[in-house]
Amino acid sequence: MEETFGNYSVIGKAMPRVDARAKVTGEAKYAADIELPGMLWGQIKRSPYAHARILNIDTSKAEELPGVKAVTTGKDFNGFKWGWSGPTRDEEPFATTKVRYQYEGVAAVAAISEDIAEEACDLIEVEYEPLPGVFDPFEAMKEGAPLVHDNRPGNICVEYHWTFGDVDKAFAESHLVREDIFQTPRMAKGYLETPAVVAYWPGPDRLVFQGAKGSPYFPYRILARCFNLPLSNVRVIQPFIGSDFGGTKNDMTHCDFAAPMLAKKTGRPVKLVYTQFDTLTTDLRRHPMWITIKTGVTKDGILKATYVKAIADGGAYTRMSPLTMFLTGTCMTLPYELPNFKFDAYNYFTNNPSSAAMRGHGLYHSRFAADVQLDMMAEELGLDPVEIRLRNAIENPEPGKVYETINGVHMATCGVKECIEKVAEATNWEEKRKTKKVEGHKSYGIGFSAATYNGGTKLSAHNACAAIVRVCEDGSINYLTGASDVGQGSDTVCCAIAAEVLGVGLEDIDIKRVDTAFTPVDPGSYGSRVTVLAGQAAMNAAEDAKRQLVEVAAQQFSVTPEEVEIKNRQVFVKSNPQRNMPWERLVRIACYETPGKVIIGRGYSTQGITILGLADLSKGVGDIGTNYSFTAQAAEVEVDVETGVVKCTDNSVIAHDCGFPLNPPAVETQVQGGSYHQGVSAALYEEFKMDQGQTLNPNLIDYMRPRAYEAPMTKVLHVVTNDPYGPFGAKEASEGSCCSAPPALINAIYDATGVWIKDLPAQPEKVFWALKAQKEKKQRKK
Amino acid sequence: MIGDFEYFAPKTVDEAIALLSKYKGEAKIIAGGQSMLVVMKRGLLTTEYLIDIKGIAALDYIKYDEGEGLRIGALTIHRAIEKSPIIQKHFRVLSEMEQNLATIQTRNWGTIGGNLCHGDPAGDPAPVLIALNAKLKLAGSGGERIIEVEEFSKDYLEVALEPDEMLTEIQVPTPLSHTGIACEKLMVMKGDMGVVGAAVSITLSPKDGVCKDARIVLSNCASVPLRARGAEKKLIGKVLNDSLLVEAGEVASTEASPPVDVHGSAEYRQEMVKVFVRRAATKALERAKAA
Repeated sequence: MEETFGNYSVIGKAMPRVDARAKVTGEAKYAADIELPGMLWGQIKRSPYAHARILNIDTSKAEELPGVKAVTTGKDFNGFKWGWSGPTRDEEPFATTKVRYQYEGVAAVAAISEDIAEEACDLIEVEYEPLPGVFDPFEAMKEGAPLVHDNRPGNICVEYHWTFGDVDKAFAESHLVREDIFQTPRMAKGYLETPAVVAYWPGPDRLVFQGAKGSPYFPYRILARCFNLPLSNVRVIQPFIGSDFGGTKNDMTHCDFAAPMLAKKTGRPVKLVYTQFDTLTTDLRRHPMWITIKTGVTKDGILKATYVKAIADGGAYTRMSPLTMFLTGTCMTLPYELPNFKFDAYNYFTNNPSSAAMRGHGLYHSRFAADVQLDMMAEELGLDPVEIRLRNAIENPEPGKVYETINGVHMATCGVKECIEKVAEATNWEEKRKTKKVEGHKSYGIGFSAATYNGGTKLSAHNACAAIVRVCEDGSINYLTGASDVGQGSDTVCCAIAAEVLGVGLEDIDIKRVDTAFTPVDPGSYGSRVTVLAGQAAMNAAEDAKRQLVEVAAQQFSVTPEEVEIKNRQVFVKSNPQRNMPWERLVRIACYETPGKVIIGRGYSTQGITILGLADLSKGVGDIGTNYSFTAQAAEVEVDVETGVVKCTDNSVIAHDCGFPLNPPAVETQVQGGSYHQGVSAALYEEFKMDQGQTLNPNLIDYMRPRAYEAPMTKVLHVVTNDPYGPFGAKEASEGSCCSAPPALINAIYDATGVWIKDLPAQPEKVFWALKAQKEKKQRKK
Repeated sequence: MIGDFEYFAPKTVDEAIALLSKYKGEAKIIAGGQSMLVVMKRGLLTTEYLIDIKGIAALDYIKYDEGEGLRIGALTIHRAIEKSPIIQKHFRVLSEMEQNLATIQTRNWGTIGGNLCHGDPAGDPAPVLIALNAKLKLAGSGGERIIEVEEFSKDYLEVALEPDEMLTEIQVPTPLSHTGIACEKLMVMKGDMGVVGAAVSITLSPKDGVCKDARIVLSNCASVPLRARGAEKKLIGKVLNDSLLVEAGEVASTEASPPVDVHGSAEYRQEMVKVFVRRAATKALERAKAA
């Protein structure tokens, strides 16, 4: 029997995904599937240098090649620059004066075939003056280091200094103070669908853009500004989006500028599709970070203070780095109570591809450091890892109350304690921890961790999601939203919320793809915001439509609207359910009886913005999320002590507080496949290896990710906290569980071997040398 | 992107050889394409003429005769070798090797002959076949010839095929009695190319248990599959024990000159040669004793 939650008709139980059929049958069209009459193929000309001045670009030979229809360079964009926010617009569609990372685009070609476009790119002659570069933050911060951006002294991209309470006093009063340095590597997002786009101009000032973009209203705004068009004339039609895997496929790539520009020049549709090589060499990566963390605790293991210094490699352009660094800091005050906190963040420009958001954005780095260090301190104090977590975990606030952290983060629900208890129980933790298992050259260990993530992210602008519920005269429903399902299942959840509110079935609702000409504006799919905020919009829009229909029903039944209820496609009087009519009949009456209504429900989200205001990034105060998910996890590892190869076994359990699981199997699979495996992968396998700005493993053989053999199946336990700020109590699902895997695994490796791996990933060679050093140290002691 | 080429799909060995003779040196053979397409897509290999031999049905077979041994057609897919009851019974190590060769999808399309002709020193079949003392049958416009697998690899991605020649058959003799053979490789993930690997064959004298013969072959430790002859000498003529196997690993490690890449340093690989020679030898010895 499937587990069900709450007393609802549609939500809280397993439901089929609304997009499953289209995806399984191949009916779903992705950007790369789009073919249009007269369509041209585009290709990007890229720089071989990681840092070089562009002296001249000669496109004449390319233009002369038969079959070439247009060539564009950065100059065509008349100095246009874009960025994550107004003050950080530092990137051109194509580099004009200087390239800042290897394979940065300098030109693009449209031709009648892919081959000709590629050949033409080879004919573009670019004269470079190679410049010395900086390839990690420590090179970048050196005095006199080459500047990535001439106007950014010291290569500083982002810098924050926050203090809450008095850490120095608290350290002085602490029983135990520890300082450690942890390191997280640059990682690929790993989405299966590479960037792809088709663009065309149906009229001289009208642009149509069909791209693989998780947040279609990003290109909508950016392209309007780029081509000086009113927003009404930029039409972004959203194809199906290939799994995003928390990669936030939002930001522009060179192809997103090349296609519209080349289409404008040629008057024909232009298509570009990236290869995995393009993606793995130029797409945004997770920030590599060096986290120095100093923590003080009492004799009983109660946290007194934490100081974090985070140094990040931001790459060539600012992109989302200001937000990354904020998130890296802000989460230090949860899921454990922390009375004193200090944070210094430095994000440096380097001549590497730009870094940006990835599942578990920001929190991933510092929560890893904190949760491993917590185990180290527990051991010094002689405390069990579960015990020290329970002692520090934030209590679930009483209903109606809100917990406030020292840095002004608020939560109405916090299920972390329950998560920890459930996992400890399910793994038989104390017993398991005591039994040390060694079989031949294999050593087994189990590790614990807890994590959190903000859901319903609200940034400084355009926060609201909106929805339109159009009730057709036969009772079927069109659901229009600006929110994009990038694989997480939000289309299903939004339809389910609308169905639940309206009292109809999930199958009655047809969701439309996003089309900026018709669907309401939406911030996008990032920051675990869609279920919480687009879900609230769905609820509000459905309630608006329902109100209109209930008025009609009340007239029919000669009762007040309050007395009417709709459930399971039946409309009835609450006090006398015998007086009823089918849903279809009510809709028909509403639409056909004079004067005839058109039932359109409208709604938008307000929670994120109105409850507690917006966060102040520079001061580190306030909420970036609407509510917060919590996770606890125990993971078992098998370490081959002769080789250093670590495997995560199936003996792993996650408990997840996502508020309320609207579609429980979607939450479970998202937690397992979406984030747990990604977390295990981050802990054990994944890392871009670099040499002077060059990516050494830009393919999925050398850049390792687990396949089915290595992907352990974890058990997912639900913790229901019914958050008052989420639709039907929902919070985010899965970003938190991406953050809990790396510390759990590293803690487990220690349990198995007595070796701390402080820099991710725990690849075999690293573990091998650490084990060898440990052995030699032991021998010396003897 | 893969450059343009003319494509042929011969149905017989003779047709294929005729094409090879016609386009001498300008043509490349593709079988399963599991390795070749990777290098072609990366632009490391271009060819004017591509001869796709996957359709030559006559080269897809597994035959066994106690006297003659095992004969495998060059176009037999890895998965067929892995799953063959004959091989599982008489040449277990080959089936075991195949179980960790890439993914099932690759094993279902890639061929044993294609793997050998690719000449990658990190490939799994060649070291095992060398340990098994196997031979290859090559066919060319001048007729057929037989060559030791050990003589086949010439350099990194280079094998002893004349421009008009192709591999048609792998011949594996029945091992001597009291022989045990095993292979082990370092994989981070199942099916990975071995960071390093070892195949070991040990033959014991039934009278006194002395090691009559030992063959130790390393993968990914040189530009070709590497016979660790020094390590073999450590074992031959002795009654084997654990410490001798450890020593053999240590000697093999000094014979290896492994590459350096994103999967490991040379120092780490040399350490791993010790581990994997010892592991394979231990298993081979157990099997030899049981045989």
